[in-house]
Amino acid sequence: MSKSKEELLKQLSDCVFEMEDEEIISVAQEYLDAGYDPLEGITEGLVDGMNRAGVMYEEEEYFITDLLICSDAMYNGLDILKPHLPQKNLEGEKTYKCVIGVVEGDTHDIGKNLVKIMLETAGFEMYDLGRDVPLRNFIDKVKKVDADLVCLSTLMTTTMPGMKKVVEMLKEENMYENTKVMIGGGPISQTYCDKIDANGYSPNAVEAVKLAKLLVGMGIPA
Amino acid sequence: MNSRERLLSALKGNKVDRLPCICPGGMMNMIITELMEKTGIMWPDAHTDANKMADLAMAVYEYGMFENYGVPFCMTIEVESMGAGIDMGSKMFEPHVVDYVIDSVSDYKKLKVTDVNSGRAKVTTDAISILKNKGHGVPIVGNLSGPISVASSLMEPVTFYKELRRKKEDVHEFMGFVTNQIIEFGQAQVKAGADVIVISDPSGTGEILGPKYFEEYAVKYINMLIDGIREVDENFPIIVHICGQMRSVYCEIKELKADAFSFDTVVGIKEIREHMGDKILMGNISSFALESANEEKIKKMTENAINSGINIVSPACGLGTQSPMKNIQAILKTVKGED
Repeated sequence: MSKSKEELLKQLSDCVFEMEDEEIISVAQEYLDAGYDPLEGITEGLVDGMNRAGVMYEEEEYFITDLLICSDAMYNGLDILKPHLPQKNLEGEKTYKCVIGVVEGDTHDIGKNLVKIMLETAGFEMYDLGRDVPLRNFIDKVKKVDADLVCLSTLMTTTMPGMKKVVEMLKEENMYENTKVMIGGGPISQTYCDKIDANGYSPNAVEAVKLAKLLVGMGIPA
Repeated sequence: MNSRERLLSALKGNKVDRLPCICPGGMMNMIITELMEKTGIMWPDAHTDANKMADLAMAVYEYGMFENYGVPFCMTIEVESMGAGIDMGSKMFEPHVVDYVIDSVSDYKKLKVTDVNSGRAKVTTDAISILKNKGHGVPIVGNLSGPISVASSLMEPVTFYKELRRKKEDVHEFMGFVTNQIIEFGQAQVKAGADVIVISDPSGTGEILGPKYFEEYAVKYINMLIDGIREVDENFPIIVHICGQMRSVYCEIKELKADAFSFDTVVGIKEIREHMGDKILMGNISSFALESANEEKIKKMTENAINSGINIVSPACGLGTQSPMKNIQAILKTVKGED
């Protein structure tokens, strides 16, 4: 007898949460073969598991290394389910776009990668510029994709002024009103965020999702 | 007491006439653009020239910023010696890694063995010898990047962190190799005349690893590094700088064989004292405040650190290069009790 949809959704979520990055492939396949909705498999299964992992991270039961393996499991599941999604987005549903990167002079990108994963999980369309990103590239990319949000990260005190420059450039190009700036990383604080006129700071990847949604008004009826 | 006697006494928990005030160098950067402009010695030149490196390190002391000499000014010498590609940065940015060497911990045999008689490792030990010959009674601080930070700069860190779980055996072999190379560089610094070594491992924090892996990978190899350095001199003073929040790993940190612990501004001195007992503590004047606040505020923060029972006064993290010199000088003035 085949398993119920609820049972398989729970298994998908558990695989992500318990870091079963190989088992998840066969579970996702079983879910598809049973004819269940792939979108629900993603949102109620994979993303649910990632969110549970995020809660454990906030409670300091999971750490960054754990979240990375959870995300591997999630992406393995996505690889199976995603090709079966309907091609077009639902009409009228806005896609929130986010440009992310580590500012020039710094190559530490572990935090940036984690924020990217969590924002992607939350439904943002992510444009990852990578690390050691020339400041101008942030502006150009935001313009090109018409991004709602730009996320800047650095782990080094010496490269923090780059964040301020990005904010200034956005102002100069009259893009500051429409594009929200979120910053994070080891030496960053709310005080620094206020000082450079960024729109928000978050101390970790889970907080970053809540903040990002708030800043762009995601999930708030127009 | 001269600055050297004062720091060495404080590190061993002996009496001092007043607290030492230092900034190590390495990850804990103490070079600011203002100092480069005043001395005419610029980054990135000072990263590759022993005389310039020594002169810039001396200027930190001469301009009344801190009571120590410290070299090198970056965290990339260890990885460069094993084959990583480095961008030497600018007068604002420190050197940083741009090319990894390996794709997986299992490939560690492809790494080069560190040769302390060539490249920037030699520049650093030459700079230490030059500083030693000046003999000013100023302590010379040598700096090392910690094993996890070095390991995760030789390959894509996300892969590295995942392999901590998936390829334990290979990770341990890789970490053993990496730590042995850092030991070579550390021993060479000691032999050249360093008085103290500071180990900073920002990529191996409790926040990233969690307590289990922090013990298995960070504590184990930092202790191996400490033991290796002390093969040259069994009582050699060593400080370990811990980045970020520490609350998940207080127990594990106590296993580190360092003489003193330096920590971030997010950790309160009173909180850490509660957990660390009578360990020697160094810190933790906010480097953000040093860049953006005024002298009056910094004086208060320094007084607060002293009153909270810190043993060695220093910034909480590397200085931003745009920090004004007068703000930095305010720490030492306060420690000395000058107005």
